[in-house]
Amino acid sequence: MPPNIIPADTNGIRDKAAIVGIGETEFSWDSGRSELQLASEAIKAACDDAGIAPQDIDGLIRYDMESNHETLLTQSLGIKNLRHWESVSYGGGAGNATVGHAAAAIAAGYANYVVCFRAANLRSGVRLGRARGPERIAGGADSFAVPWGSMAPAHRFGMFVRRYMHEYGATSRHFGWVAVTLREHASRNPRALRREPITIDDHQNSRMVVDPLHVLDFCQENDGAAAVVMTTPERARELRHSDTLTLVEAAAQGSGPRNDGIVYRPDLAAAESEHTARDLWARARLSASDMDAMMFYDHFTPFCLINLETYGFVPRGEAKDFVDGGANIRFDGMLPVNTHGGNHSEAYIHGLTHVQEAVRLIRGDSTAQPPQKAINRVLSCSSVAQLSGAVIIRRG
Amino acid sequence: MTQQSETAAKSPPMTAPLEGVPLPDMERVPDYERGFWEGTRNGELRIQRCADCGRFRHLPTPMCPECSSLQYSWTQVSGRGFVYSFVIVRHPVHPAIREREQTPYNICMIELEEQEGLRVCSNILQVAPEDIGIGMPVQVTFMPVADDPEVTLPVFLPAPQQ
Ligand SMILES: [Zn+2]
Repeated sequence: MPPNIIPADTNGIRDKAAIVGIGETEFSWDSGRSELQLASEAIKAACDDAGIAPQDIDGLIRYDMESNHETLLTQSLGIKNLRHWESVSYGGGAGNATVGHAAAAIAAGYANYVVCFRAANLRSGVRLGRARGPERIAGGADSFAVPWGSMAPAHRFGMFVRRYMHEYGATSRHFGWVAVTLREHASRNPRALRREPITIDDHQNSRMVVDPLHVLDFCQENDGAAAVVMTTPERARELRHSDTLTLVEAAAQGSGPRNDGIVYRPDLAAAESEHTARDLWARARLSASDMDAMMFYDHFTPFCLINLETYGFVPRGEAKDFVDGGANIRFDGMLPVNTHGGNHSEAYIHGLTHVQEAVRLIRGDSTAQPPQKAINRVLSCSSVAQLSGAVIIRRG
Repeated sequence: MTQQSETAAKSPPMTAPLEGVPLPDMERVPDYERGFWEGTRNGELRIQRCADCGRFRHLPTPMCPECSSLQYSWTQVSGRGFVYSFVIVRHPVHPAIREREQTPYNICMIELEEQEGLRVCSNILQVAPEDIGIGMPVQVTFMPVADDPEVTLPVFLPAPQQ
């Protein structure tokens, strides 16, 4: 039997793909238009940023939650021949994974210009934070959870967080410093939906929604769309941002062993994305200390701490001290995180905005650009339980 | 455990399962899950157990993830366990929870004593939310659901420390 590991030096996508364009719609509580309209606008904006026409696109990577299927987009965008398409499972889990898939497709020569996108009316349409689905459950994980009232992501992730707090002594106040920092970043970002600065007391006094999570620990639910355009580094040198190449250096995906691993995995205080982290660093031959910033999937603020530990920025259990007071994770701190304000305060587009912000940081045009250092490498990492993905984006 | 001064008012405990929330449709539950619900209807907490290696598993699956055996039984367990983690839901997300004012309520992952890591999702009755804590010993009991006579839910009560 072959060993069940991927050789550490296997990284077939290293520097084979560049992110050449980023684009988005405005973010809102009610877009007032269709999801196909949102997708078309965001992809057009990303193409404009890259300096290509939508008709040049020949690869599409969507989230499987996406309502905009391929043929809708080929017609709307004017794509004559879609050479490559994929959909990646889950919302948060797909976030960075789409970029890894696009890099692989480009490295393989399957397509010239690949777009990753997410477009959804997640506020005015179907809200993920609300109980949904049929009045009767046809078995599966929901049938062993919903009858006891576990029916929203916050319920299951809240139990994950409670166990983490119990094991490592993190408190709601630590999560509050993450909220304060993300909001401060958003206050500088005109795209952001929530820009009013908050204090640690505002966080502590905010409504308890699912104890231990206050309302200011939650990401937003909003409408909007985001897209990135990718191609080969050779083509990138002919395009609009030829002065600053942003390359995908490595990508990884991983899982844990259990269905609904958010609450059923063996050690609830450890993140299943530790598998993703291990493969990512091995493929890149890098470690956390090589990263200039971290864009993490902030569906709930505690996952800042858990990502910091899982990806090895700090030892297990020490993130609470690292985030305390917020100085280390501010845009002008030791490790800037989510300088756009993240899902928490900018907008929730299932993690694709984090990839866009990584590109902005390397280009030097974030609205919270770190003044103290050049940003050459950024880790963008998605959800920490069940299926997760991560990419390293570097200056070319 | 949530720290609370003696004088602070506690929230009321749950006394019965939630009302009006979606329940499994016994007509459509897959074959490899039915034994759980047959057990609860008979007042027993039955957990799927591999007939070859003897390990319990939940959520149910057709195959044993440890030894790949397709043979299993539904084995009654003691119903004793402890609170592995929990949340207190204070904001309702389902109309029935909101309209019938069923908040706050607790959701717990109960780790069963038979096997490390063997957990079920449930509620703890008769304990104020402020008094629920990780490690708390509990014992299963069974309650019919007002909305469907076909469904009996396992819920847990505080148990004496072992
Ligand atoms: Zn077995």
